[in-house]
Amino acid sequence: MTALISIQGGAKRFVKGRETITIFDHLDMTIEAGDFIAIMGPSGSGKTTLLNLLGGIDRATSGSITFAGQRLDQMSEGQLSNWRAANVGFIFQFYNLMPALNAARNVELPLLLTSLGSGERRSRVETALKIVGLAERAKHYPREMSGGQQQRVAIARAIVADPKMLLCDEPTGDLDRKTADEILSMLQLLNKEMGKTIIMVTHDPEAARYASRVLHLDKGRFVEQVAA
Amino acid sequence: MTDFSLILANLFSRKLRAILMLVAIFFAFLIFGVLAGVQNGFNNIGGAAGENRLVTINKINFTQPMPISYIERIRAVEGVARASYANWFGGYYQEGKNQIVTFAIDPEFYMDIYATDYKLSADQRAAFLADRSGLLVGQKLAERWGWKLGDRIPLSSNIYTNKNTGKQTWDFTIVGILEPAQENADTSVAFFHHAYFNESVTFGQDTAGWIVIETTDKALNTDVSKRVDAMFANSPAETATDTEKAFNQAFVGQLGNITLIVTLVVGAAFATILMIVGNTMVMAVRERTKEIGVMKTLGFPSGRIFKMVLGESLLLAMLGGLPALGVAAVLLTMMRKAVGFPGLALTLDFTALGIAIMLALGLLTGIVPAWNALRLNIVTALGRQ
Amino acid sequence: MRILNQTIAVCSINLRSLPERFWLSFSTVIAVAMVVTVLLGFLALAAGFKRTLDGTGSDGIAIMLRDGSQQEVNSVVMLDQVRLIGEAPGIVRKDDGNPLISGELYVIVDGVRRSTGLKANLPLRGIGKDGAALRDGLTITQGRMFEPGSNEIVVGEGLVREFAGFDLGSEVRLGTGTWKVVGVFSMNGAVFESELWGDATVVQSLFRRGSSFQTVRVRLETPEAIEQLREYVAGEPRLKLEVFSEKGYFAGQSSNTVKLIQNAGWPLAIAMALGALAGALNTMYSSVASRSREIATLRCLGFGGFPSFAATLLESLVLAGIGGLIGSLGIFLFFDGFSTSTLGQGFTQIVFSVSLTPDLVKQGIMLALLVGLIGGFFPALRAARLPIVAAYAQG
Repeated sequence: MTALISIQGGAKRFVKGRETITIFDHLDMTIEAGDFIAIMGPSGSGKTTLLNLLGGIDRATSGSITFAGQRLDQMSEGQLSNWRAANVGFIFQFYNLMPALNAARNVELPLLLTSLGSGERRSRVETALKIVGLAERAKHYPREMSGGQQQRVAIARAIVADPKMLLCDEPTGDLDRKTADEILSMLQLLNKEMGKTIIMVTHDPEAARYASRVLHLDKGRFVEQVAA
Repeated sequence: MTDFSLILANLFSRKLRAILMLVAIFFAFLIFGVLAGVQNGFNNIGGAAGENRLVTINKINFTQPMPISYIERIRAVEGVARASYANWFGGYYQEGKNQIVTFAIDPEFYMDIYATDYKLSADQRAAFLADRSGLLVGQKLAERWGWKLGDRIPLSSNIYTNKNTGKQTWDFTIVGILEPAQENADTSVAFFHHAYFNESVTFGQDTAGWIVIETTDKALNTDVSKRVDAMFANSPAETATDTEKAFNQAFVGQLGNITLIVTLVVGAAFATILMIVGNTMVMAVRERTKEIGVMKTLGFPSGRIFKMVLGESLLLAMLGGLPALGVAAVLLTMMRKAVGFPGLALTLDFTALGIAIMLALGLLTGIVPAWNALRLNIVTALGRQ
Repeated sequence: MRILNQTIAVCSINLRSLPERFWLSFSTVIAVAMVVTVLLGFLALAAGFKRTLDGTGSDGIAIMLRDGSQQEVNSVVMLDQVRLIGEAPGIVRKDDGNPLISGELYVIVDGVRRSTGLKANLPLRGIGKDGAALRDGLTITQGRMFEPGSNEIVVGEGLVREFAGFDLGSEVRLGTGTWKVVGVFSMNGAVFESELWGDATVVQSLFRRGSSFQTVRVRLETPEAIEQLREYVAGEPRLKLEVFSEKGYFAGQSSNTVKLIQNAGWPLAIAMALGALAGALNTMYSSVASRSREIATLRCLGFGGFPSFAATLLESLVLAGIGGLIGSLGIFLFFDGFSTSTLGQGFTQIVFSVSLTPDLVKQGIMLALLVGLIGGFFPALRAARLPIVAAYAQG
């Protein structure tokens, strides 16, 4: 198993007024391709910040982030945009779908960053929606769907461009138990069947059980816990 | 889905708001379109034809007549192809309020010079030349009063008295109907023989109200004008000669500073929508902060997002403005038919100006929100860390 | 009473939170102000023009024109007709028994407008010896009256203000002669202030009018005596004249131009008002949306829907009202009393001052409030019927 993404000496600090707040310092982590990792920790521990760094939407104050041999910390904003489009799918706690677009168009969004033709895009969208089991809701708008359905559309959006890595920020935080389980099972499926590397931030121990590895982040340090 | 359909979806994400913006923009450009037509009418009095036509009037003022002997001397001037004369009759039909634009004209050459404006069939022209009390009426005038060829009608003058009857009325027979020879020609006019006029007025005999000159080449306009005026300088009736267009414009220009009024009203309308639409676009894009953050997360480059927000403003301006110009053109056509004022139309150059203003409006209302979107930090946009 | 207290409370919360929605609210105020500015601008122009003509002429003076002429410039009255009129009943006579009568000419000359430098037609009136005596309210404000038989002229204040070349002491070329300006006169802003006056006989000779005039003026013993005069004229076959009271004549001259200005102004104002209405609706809907949490909370606390309705409507009316006041104030400060001139019926310029009256301001404010009412009504309904849960879920 090869290392897909790794952080070396990662630090994140920012200045607030006259204070310098350190989220973490000298953080090292390695994630293998095909991993399903859950990152847990108390609020304020920097879990989301870490996820943002892994996704290239935030920059580390110092340290290096390497993805498949490329140094993310040395890329420009434009390069990071392109890299994200090709390699990462995001799943958020509150779905973050575009309310002005229906499900199919929401899922199609990442494909607008590729050079695929409209016919090809359409078939990919259909496939993605089928995988998450929402093919018949393609024309529905987010406001017409339940939380669980919206999250599934978000997952379809995250996988439609076939990225290597999925980053999930509290994906089940807004869902009831039953729906949460459905979503997590789907993530597991994507990991096992389609080989997607999944990094999930969560505070729910039940959710963490779906992962193959659990990391605890506390005061900027990792403590590993083997999945039960 | 294309970037365009994405822009469209974003624009109409709040349908009511988008419609209200479109309505506001629509009315602003409607006002612009109609007033542009008015301005154009004012700029182009007299129509396109007649660029080599000059008008000679008494230098004192156009209400002072000139001796009719001037016409032969003017015809002999170098550069003059044809010349004719006319007198203002001050006509009305039956009642003082039914004013009729009537001229006593030199029958031979006047209609020839104005053949660019009025079409007269050969036999009707012959009939006119044969009948001294013959009257030529414009098509519009005939339609208005239901006059037909052969009708005998009385026309009165609020200036002259008919010495044969002691009253102010003359009898005429309609021998010709004038059709417009070009789009802008105004056919609410009537012409009759100057000789008929001359032999029956109690004063003002052997005078010409104004003389119209057709030069051989419009490049000679200034020279001919100078020569004519020089010919009559220091005589009891000095002349002032100028192009017909200048003469007409000076006349309407006396109504007031129309250009200024048009500019002020249009300016007020645009200033208003600039504020309304500008503020609304800033607000609308701010509401989409999170969405923009998500787009960036998906990998959309900042530049592309910038273009999409700007595109939204431009699309809004176009969708509101273009139909407005269309409606303005229709309204102007209706006004033109009702008022008979040629030139009341939305011309190409004003249309181009309107489109330029639409683009400017789109840019001005979109630049701030687009810039904000460009510079948006993803983490901040997505919310708390 | 509870409703009233609730309403007052919500209204004041609402108005106090206006600064948060400042820019959008401000744009509505400006939109309404622009509408009122355009409307009042046109109406004040028309009113000023009409006022000048209405205020011109007295009903104690009769003016006679040739039958059917409509305007002075078209009329022709011969000397013998003037003499005949002098024998009419009902007109004032001088101490020596001769009638107080002025045969007058009205010729058009050129002048140059000060503001644009463009040419304009101005009236030169040749007045008889009694001409000045037949003008009520005439005062010579600079210089003196012209000498009879000379080529001196006096000019009206309005004309001097608007047109160049006629200042006191100037020499001007009118017709075939040179004239000297020896005085400036005022007449309470009447149309006569847009005129040049000279001696009738001199005008006749220099403009080759022989011994003909265009109008005749007499003073009536009483305003009712005009009927006697009319009877006399009707009974005299050599006098084919129309008799007007001077006041009546001028009042009739204004209608075309006034109607033109009004017919241009109202449609423009309405088109702008519709645009402003769209803007007002937009502002108010946004206002309701931004306050939706607050409105929902009030409802949870037990406030009914009406207070929110009233508060939203009030907000709209206040914004529109302020816009209306600003628009009116703008016209008043920058435009009222502004002197300009336009073409009168006789093809000559009539100088007048823009006149903004309280009645016009009322019309302007009415239009503003109408925009505010409609612009606030529907959003107010929405505020009143806001579903509470949706409000909390929003944003």
